[in-house]
Amino acid sequence: MNEKGTLEGKVAVITGGGTGLGKASALVLAKEGVSVVIAARRVNAIEQTASEINALGRKALAIPADVTDSQQVNKLIEETVSKLGSVDILVNNAGIVRGQVPKPLWEITDEEWRLGIDTNLSSVFYCSRAVMKYFVNQGHGKIINIASGNGMRGFRGDYMYGTAKAGVINLTRILATTFAQNNIQVNCIAPGFVDVRQLQPVPVTSSATRTANLIPVQRFGEPNDIAHLVLFLASEASGYITGGLFPNDGGGLAGGIAPTGYAPIIEKGVN
Amino acid sequence: MVSQEFSLKGKTALIAGDSKYWSKYAAKALAEAGADVALSARNNKHLEEAADEIQKQNRKALIIPTETNNTVNIQRVLGQVLNEFGRIDILVNASDFVFAKPFLQISEKEWRQVMDENLMPAFLYSQAVVKPMKEQSKGRIINLISCMAERGVENFTAYCTSMGGVLQLTRALNLEVARHGITVNAIGTAWISEVEKTGDAAEELVLKYLPLKRYGKPDEIDSLLVYLASDTSSFFTGQFLYVDGAVMSHP
Repeated sequence: MNEKGTLEGKVAVITGGGTGLGKASALVLAKEGVSVVIAARRVNAIEQTASEINALGRKALAIPADVTDSQQVNKLIEETVSKLGSVDILVNNAGIVRGQVPKPLWEITDEEWRLGIDTNLSSVFYCSRAVMKYFVNQGHGKIINIASGNGMRGFRGDYMYGTAKAGVINLTRILATTFAQNNIQVNCIAPGFVDVRQLQPVPVTSSATRTANLIPVQRFGEPNDIAHLVLFLASEASGYITGGLFPNDGGGLAGGIAPTGYAPIIEKGVN
Repeated sequence: MVSQEFSLKGKTALIAGDSKYWSKYAAKALAEAGADVALSARNNKHLEEAADEIQKQNRKALIIPTETNNTVNIQRVLGQVLNEFGRIDILVNASDFVFAKPFLQISEKEWRQVMDENLMPAFLYSQAVVKPMKEQSKGRIINLISCMAERGVENFTAYCTSMGGVLQLTRALNLEVARHGITVNAIGTAWISEVEKTGDAAEELVLKYLPLKRYGKPDEIDSLLVYLASDTSSFFTGQFLYVDGAVMSHP
């Protein structure tokens, strides 16, 4: 999709790059010639991703980091620059649905609330802050935030994740307007229902089938559906796009006021 | 009883284009708040019911049967309103021509009809009232539209498009008339019924889907309608509000 070599030699940091969307994005960017730093807490997972990228003949570095800790985030970016020479692209993908066991609102503890907000929102702020001075100094940079359709609609009981993701969407706009004049583009992807189990077919459980039925394209998203949009937003092809919100959801957000299968025929008009 | 801040005493309203049930409820609400109300639509029993509701509130009612939506006709309607009432303060565009058909089966004639029924009257009536409202340096235009202005539903391409048009008319017109004291807002609804819905499987599917597990009633927009029609909402313009039982919020 790029002019040959557009991303060759660029350096990207991908948080939560050990699994799912992060891993898929790391692989897609690496194939385009990007040197990739994969940062997450689970060492085994990020080393696995790094070795898969190395096997493609591309540079990859696994740096264990807890993105809810800003000191670790600052160290991650410093280490990236010292080992790979620069940082050009940041993919804020880390996030959890973990700790979202449905429970009554009054049973959610302060710690659970903070963990949800820190992991999904504060981490995006910390990472963006850490790369921004490098971006400003070099006169270019790309941030791609992975938000969620949950940040645009109220899912039942989805307090921390949905609130944090809505915050990510507006943080995107604020960073975009603040740094537009520095040739830094900040955009946001809102994935719909994505099956992150590495392209395994979705098991035919009744709940999975129900969910797939909700999606106009009648299937779950795949990690590469998102990763290819990450690639577009990381490349110069999107050089004039900033502050954008890109739902990538199989059409789900376009509907949502009528149940699936509701398609009446009202021919003579009712007025 | 309407509190003083929201009083429409001495104001006149025109509810335009409704041939369903909006006029009955909207007229009652506006009259209860103190407005005299004119009704312009195809002549049906429902307009007389609406006029009854207005008179019960000891306000003046005026029925102006209107078969066709074109400039000449709508100017005639407005002339009659100004003749009888002396002024026009509030316009409620209430056309709601519901039409649903698989996309490939919609004829050019049907498509035009949906636009003519839903979008055209909003344009023509708004154009007719803006002139006198400008002279008064005050006015309220309230467009009743559907949540389908923003969201898609299968088989509703024409209807969704027409309602989306009214939504954009709301946003854009607001910018032109705001400085003259005229506000333009829209109220969006979905799943409204005059009668309680129960029964068949299709209804059950819908009811199960709705966050409140019930349809809305036409009078549930009343208080918002009166607020938007009142002097107290003078800084509130260009907005699109949903009275939707939370259907726009959920996934």
